[in-house]
Amino acid sequence: MAESRRIKHRKTVSYAKWAYIFIIPFFISYIIFTLVPQLLTIYNSFFENYMNGLQQIGPNFVGLANYKALLSPGQSGTIDLLKYFGNTMALWILGAVPQFLIALMLAVIFTSARLNIKGQGLAKAIIYMPNLIMASAFSMLIFALFSKVGPINKYLVASGIIEQSFDFLTVKVSVRSLIALLNFLMWFGNTTIVLMAGIMGIDQSLFESAEIDGSNSIQVFFDITLPLLMPIMSYALITSLIGGIQMFDVPQVLTNGRGTPNLTSTTVIMMLNNFLSGSKNYGRAGAVSVLLFIVTGILSTIVYRMLAKQYKD
Amino acid sequence: MKKLLSALLTVPMVLALAGCQGEKPAEEPVEEGGEGKVFHIYAWNEEFKGFFEKYYTVPEGVEVVWTIVPSDNGQYQDALDLALLNQDSAAADDKIDMFLAESDYIVKYTNTDYTQDIKQLGVTNFSNTYPYTVEAASDANGVVKGVSFQCCPAGMLYRKSIAEAVLGTSDPEEIQAMVSDWDKFDAVAAQMKDAGYLMTASFAETFRVFSNNTESAWVDADNNLVIDPAIQTWMDQAEKFIENGYTLTSGVWDAETTAEMGKDGKAFCYFGPAWYYNFCMGPAFGEDAVKEGTDTVGDWALIAGPQAYFWGGTWLLAATGSDNPTMLADVMDTFINNEDVVTALIANEAQFTNNKKVNQKFADDPDFGNPYLDGQNDTAVFNAMADNITFRNHTIYDQLCNEGLQDKFSEYLKGEVDKETAMANFYTFLNEKYPAVHTPE
Repeated sequence: MAESRRIKHRKTVSYAKWAYIFIIPFFISYIIFTLVPQLLTIYNSFFENYMNGLQQIGPNFVGLANYKALLSPGQSGTIDLLKYFGNTMALWILGAVPQFLIALMLAVIFTSARLNIKGQGLAKAIIYMPNLIMASAFSMLIFALFSKVGPINKYLVASGIIEQSFDFLTVKVSVRSLIALLNFLMWFGNTTIVLMAGIMGIDQSLFESAEIDGSNSIQVFFDITLPLLMPIMSYALITSLIGGIQMFDVPQVLTNGRGTPNLTSTTVIMMLNNFLSGSKNYGRAGAVSVLLFIVTGILSTIVYRMLAKQYKD
Repeated sequence: MKKLLSALLTVPMVLALAGCQGEKPAEEPVEEGGEGKVFHIYAWNEEFKGFFEKYYTVPEGVEVVWTIVPSDNGQYQDALDLALLNQDSAAADDKIDMFLAESDYIVKYTNTDYTQDIKQLGVTNFSNTYPYTVEAASDANGVVKGVSFQCCPAGMLYRKSIAEAVLGTSDPEEIQAMVSDWDKFDAVAAQMKDAGYLMTASFAETFRVFSNNTESAWVDADNNLVIDPAIQTWMDQAEKFIENGYTLTSGVWDAETTAEMGKDGKAFCYFGPAWYYNFCMGPAFGEDAVKEGTDTVGDWALIAGPQAYFWGGTWLLAATGSDNPTMLADVMDTFINNEDVVTALIANEAQFTNNKKVNQKFADDPDFGNPYLDGQNDTAVFNAMADNITFRNHTIYDQLCNEGLQDKFSEYLKGEVDKETAMANFYTFLNEKYPAVHTPE
């Protein structure tokens, strides 16, 4: 009797518990470093809590006052938060469109068995390189290059293309383009690598049979590569979107924290930074974070649904 | 057994992530007098560090640690605030002993318990310092919390060659008579323009003259933002100067503005105190410029200009909780009362110091002069202005009010936005940075 129970017990031994044990460190650090701060942020957003000089004001419970202040029109009659959100999205789209197009093209070229490009390793390293440079350092470089007394202006004037030096950093179009260019340069290599992994995960026999059936490379791309790449594509898009919503360092450094001109390159996180640096306005900054969290969730769901639906069909 | 092993493996992994800030034992060797081994100074640039290293003999066994954070956009204040708020819990050697502050935000620190009474530390001799420097470093009850090693009356610097070419003379007295008020200043600006020159190289060049002569502070007792008539006058002047092509739309620190100081520069005048032209006019006096032959050394003269004012100045404040009180008092006393050191500051470092007696000596010396100004005795010029300076209308919000207005208003002058939007953007900026300040609706 005792013997048989022991045997039965042994039969139900589950090795799954080791998996759980191995992922404990992640969950513990997730709880400590992400979940708790997130809950604290939400909690803080209901309080008036800031420094006036070196004097602490609050924390006083104010209900939804921080949200109300953020969502009501400011001095200029517009809701600043919405304006900054629009800026953020415009900056992300300007950079993300070329980023994904070029990355997709490069990924297809690099993985093509027919082309079998030489020196791929070097090429991949080079396109990934900008991502290794600190965004702020990169922005400083562009700032110096494009400043009114910088080399780009000197060259343009000397070669007679323009008459007077042009202040790139005071015109909406040029500031936004520079930010988009920087983000594009920094991230297209990363996206290329991710998409390549996606393409290489597609069954090679599909490409071969398509070739045997006589389809050209454009047909292969649109009918095989792209649909089968959708899960990875949606992953890459969503991470890029989340990164885009949190855009901060490039516009901050490039415009010296000013978001010029007329606050059209001020992003939501730059606003958050304004609240936090100096007056440590945890209430208002918390409310911005919570709103951003909600918007990110909604946008990610939409993008995921759109792409996943296509994939399922 | 295995379970135990895995638990043992997991715990350090988490601890490694969570426990990066181990407590450091605060025990440190203490000197005989009970003073700490580390003297910690916070500053926003290298200026004072240079003087300190050259002229102050650090007591044996004490290490001086500098934390330097640039002041742009309030960064220095942010870093300093954070350190001061943690002062109580910091280990003795990590505590700030002394920190530097500028007139734009000194009241933020003097009116708190984060600074301490220096008279109790033993700095008691203020017989030769300028009253305004002591007033600025005092709290509302008159308790003195620090000293300034410089006095910063400011004047107008002009290019003699341009003056000669356009106005027919470069004599300081004659030029002073031509720009002795703002109407005359405008008239000269028109002459400069007609001759193909610029009056100034930045729309904000004269900002500090006006902002230092306001009737009210930036923020009143009820925390309302006040745009003083003097600030309004400056805005009108800036607008007119840009419209008429008398100046440029770049800020006072921008490369475009400073580039006009060089040999091919078109700007007639700049505004500032001794620290400005001796340290911030690189394209005019810097080593590189001299090497390349594009410098303008000796082509400048200093006069009082249209209106008296002072700009900036570096105060040394005593941090509460310093573990080096004797050295702290000694540093402060040295830079205001040690005549050898103060003399060296004038003779070698081109400072206008906070010691009336020594300043007077140099002002009376006919052989003394500043090579940048072709041997003109600038100490004498400043000496005549220094006694009249008063420290008034300062709030804890001044730095960002001054910088923010210049920034946002410049967008209007560049034609990017209309005037209302520029002001609205200025208010938005203040609302984000200073939640306690009420801006006009």
